[in-house]
Amino acid sequence: MNEKFENQLRRALRPVDAPAGFAGRVMRALPERRASASVVPLSIVRKPAPLDAWRRLAAPAALAASLLVAVITGTHVAHRNAEREEQAGLAASRELMQALRVTSQKLDLAYEAVQRPAPEPAADEENRS
Amino acid sequence: MRFPAHHLNEAAQKQDSTLLARARAGEAAAFEQLVRRHQASVFSIGYRMLNRRDAAEDLAQDVFLQLYRKLDDIESVEHLGYWLRRVAANLAIDWLRRTSYTRTAPLEDGVEVPVHEAEQDPLMDRELIRLLGELPPAARAVMVLRYQEDRDVAEIATALDMPVNTVKSHIKRSLTAMRGKMIGAQLVTAEELP
Repeated sequence: MNEKFENQLRRALRPVDAPAGFAGRVMRALPERRASASVVPLSIVRKPAPLDAWRRLAAPAALAASLLVAVITGTHVAHRNAEREEQAGLAASRELMQALRVTSQKLDLAYEAVQRPAPEPAADEENRS
Repeated sequence: MRFPAHHLNEAAQKQDSTLLARARAGEAAAFEQLVRRHQASVFSIGYRMLNRRDAAEDLAQDVFLQLYRKLDDIESVEHLGYWLRRVAANLAIDWLRRTSYTRTAPLEDGVEVPVHEAEQDPLMDRELIRLLGELPPAARAVMVLRYQEDRDVAEIATALDMPVNTVKSHIKRSLTAMRGKMIGAQLVTAEELP
């Protein structure tokens, strides 16, 4: 009895066809490309042409060249700066030695002046006092 | 997870398996073939749940668009069938809960083309489908997966995220309610009650 009713239900609920053109409408609604295809069969992996290989290498090569130029330029600028600083240091040293020499001469003159004996007072001046 | 066997013969399963692999590799024609092979099942779930051909078509289209995005996650032909039924049934439940069609969906007079011809009693069929439309969304989904898709209770429970006992309870209560109303309408006799 129960089974008979269930079979009636199965018959009533038999699948129905989708409307005509349904699959086509689904395909038109799909996005342009699927987001990902995680596994690509080896059979469809294409060996890159030589030109493709060059194109693939162009960007890394340009980057490497840019880095090399940057390193060389940086080294050169740093070397120039070091040389300039060394020259400035030597000039400052020379100026300091010159200043010390002048100061030393002045001190010698002052010392000699201090050590020189004072002159004898005049005779008329003694009588006046 | 082990997925229930599909109701296809071995050759058809092999063909589906090939189509699935080609569709996953990005071949649009293979995906279209998969749509054609499963469109009746998906559309029918929507149609029996929603009782509207336009809404059922929108729902089925949504299911296949989701499938297209999730193709890489589909492990096998069995998984494909299970996935389609699960997504279609759950989308239909969500749709019913969002709209006012939860209990009193009108039965459409649209052309209905059965996939497999069988002995028919149009009046009885019509009444059964009308009564199915009066069931709450979850119970309706259980009945559609059980009697239209011929799924066992374990698969229905997994697909609808509900305990097996709840599925059994939905089936028993829905059958009793539907039979009671059929007797009221004098479309079945009292002897047919369990």
